[in-house]
Amino acid sequence: MDVFSALGGGFGVALQPGNLLLAFIGCILGTAIGVLPGIGPLNAIALLLPFCLALRLPPESALILLAAVYYGSGYGGRITAILLNMPGEPSAVLTTLDGHPLAKQGRGGAALAISGIGSFVGATLSVVAMTFLSVPLAKVAVAFSPADYVALIAFALSLLGAVSDGPAVKAWAAGCLGLLLAMVGVDSGTGVERYTLGSLELLGGIDFTVLAIGLFAIGEILLLIETRLRVEAAKLGGGEPLRLREVIFCLPAMLRATGIGFVIGVLPGAGASVASALSYTAEKRLNEANGKFGQGDMRGVAAPETADNAAQIGNLVPMLSLGIPGSGTTAVLLGALLMYNITPGPLLFEQRPEVAWGLIASMYIGNAMLLLLNLPLVGIFARLLTVPAWVLYPGVLALSFAGVYAASNSAFDLLLAVAFGVMGWLFRKMEIPLVPIVLGFVLGRMLEDNLRRAMSLSDGDIWALVGSPVSMVLWAMTVAAVLWPMARALRR
Amino acid sequence: MIADRILGLALIALGLGAAWSAMQLQVPFAADPLGPSPFPTTVALVIALCGLALLLRPMHGFAWPERALAPPLLVVAMVGYALLMVPLGFLVSSALMATAVALLFGARIVASGVLGVTTAVALWLLFDKLLDLPLPRGILSL
Repeated sequence: MDVFSALGGGFGVALQPGNLLLAFIGCILGTAIGVLPGIGPLNAIALLLPFCLALRLPPESALILLAAVYYGSGYGGRITAILLNMPGEPSAVLTTLDGHPLAKQGRGGAALAISGIGSFVGATLSVVAMTFLSVPLAKVAVAFSPADYVALIAFALSLLGAVSDGPAVKAWAAGCLGLLLAMVGVDSGTGVERYTLGSLELLGGIDFTVLAIGLFAIGEILLLIETRLRVEAAKLGGGEPLRLREVIFCLPAMLRATGIGFVIGVLPGAGASVASALSYTAEKRLNEANGKFGQGDMRGVAAPETADNAAQIGNLVPMLSLGIPGSGTTAVLLGALLMYNITPGPLLFEQRPEVAWGLIASMYIGNAMLLLLNLPLVGIFARLLTVPAWVLYPGVLALSFAGVYAASNSAFDLLLAVAFGVMGWLFRKMEIPLVPIVLGFVLGRMLEDNLRRAMSLSDGDIWALVGSPVSMVLWAMTVAAVLWPMARALRR
Repeated sequence: MIADRILGLALIALGLGAAWSAMQLQVPFAADPLGPSPFPTTVALVIALCGLALLLRPMHGFAWPERALAPPLLVVAMVGYALLMVPLGFLVSSALMATAVALLFGARIVASGVLGVTTAVALWLLFDKLLDLPLPRGILSL
């Protein structure tokens, strides 16, 4: 099937009224979440997932909604960065450098507009690239043997140490903890109980929504309550509106940022933060002569925002084509698909085209919606910042509990979610990154299944794991990804 | 420093415990060459190694909370909420929890109460009436 007819089929799914409505809701929620401090796309998707399951949304509809929240958040993070000098998302840090000076010069509205346009350009061009790249990439992966997959997953996990914010050892420990948590319950291969601690409730394993809501929603609120969060009222100065001339002036920067962002996004490990930092630096270097970076250069706002959204879309490519998520949020999206008994990966495009292509088509529509939403309505979203914490977070907490309960109908899972919340809070205070835990959790089952298949094929010969050229290269890269942070730590 | 050393010890204990537990697993008949033990054992040993590395080269301290009392109180409120949701029902337990959490976030008593009831009713209307999701009804059989 060629790309265009497949995409046409996808639009048939994405244009159904219910799915259009879900994409629209997702876009609004995503932007709002990007604005609100303390709630990121990861927390929001974790919160929404149980409701999708409880409402029996079909998988393609759920994915359209959750993905819209995900890429919509890329539009929201810039609002606080520009108006308040406070990044709503980690990847919006670079946007503050030129965005806030522009706002102080009374051109906040123009900075918001150019960043919105940049987000749209980056995201849409990346969706185009994704449209054409996903199937070829998936075809490469079809040829992967189980042993190759073992090596690929090991590589993805080892990279966590190299790219995560905290110390590498802690990232690896967290990733392994995620793998262990995924093993709780009856082992599918042998029927043996593992790590259930004699609890009947744990026989079926730990529910992904319980882990994600606990770690990210409940843990985050515990962190927020420690400090009295004060946000000053945002001002959206009138000022001179954005001119077409300025958009054209920024266009080359946006195109470069799209390239950087998409490539970084597709590569495993590195995410939107790296992409926005890299594209900002690149623009600064390229335009040293005629730029006023740091004092309010339009390109300094356009580039990181474009790269941020391009990388977000790029992150989805390995998740859909290989089944290997490149970031925490795509790991949660992968978890969502697994809850629907859909295994993303090479066969997804053939077996469930409505899911894969419906999602891709919906992203064209969603990004157009986001552009339309964000240009005129940016003031309304900015006003969300004036909602005090004591109004917002009790509701978020009630939503978390309702979600866990709706998905599992069990009070035990509520307590388990609180336990994970406390764990997430403590881990954050000890600088243990949480993203590797979800990544390990969603990859654990896949890793062991492939290991088991590889061992069956080779009749238990462990050397079969490094038997193919692909696996040898991947293992060599894994070793490098482990040794590099260790060498860096030793030199310290 | 000390926090990282304690963390290192905890990880070693967890890793060794998990590895030992995995090695005890017995399969009645050997169907596949891998069995249930090697994978968890390997993963657990990696955790123990990470713990050892942290014990030998600790890096960071523990960031003590600005308001030391608030997080434990919030945990108490959440555990209470989890235990009371089924007997009291979503509406009543959510109103109580939301009021308590708003207080913890520094709101005044009256405002917290109003917010608690409003939040509970709004979410209950959303879930029960609009989305038709099953939530515990408890003492109010609406």
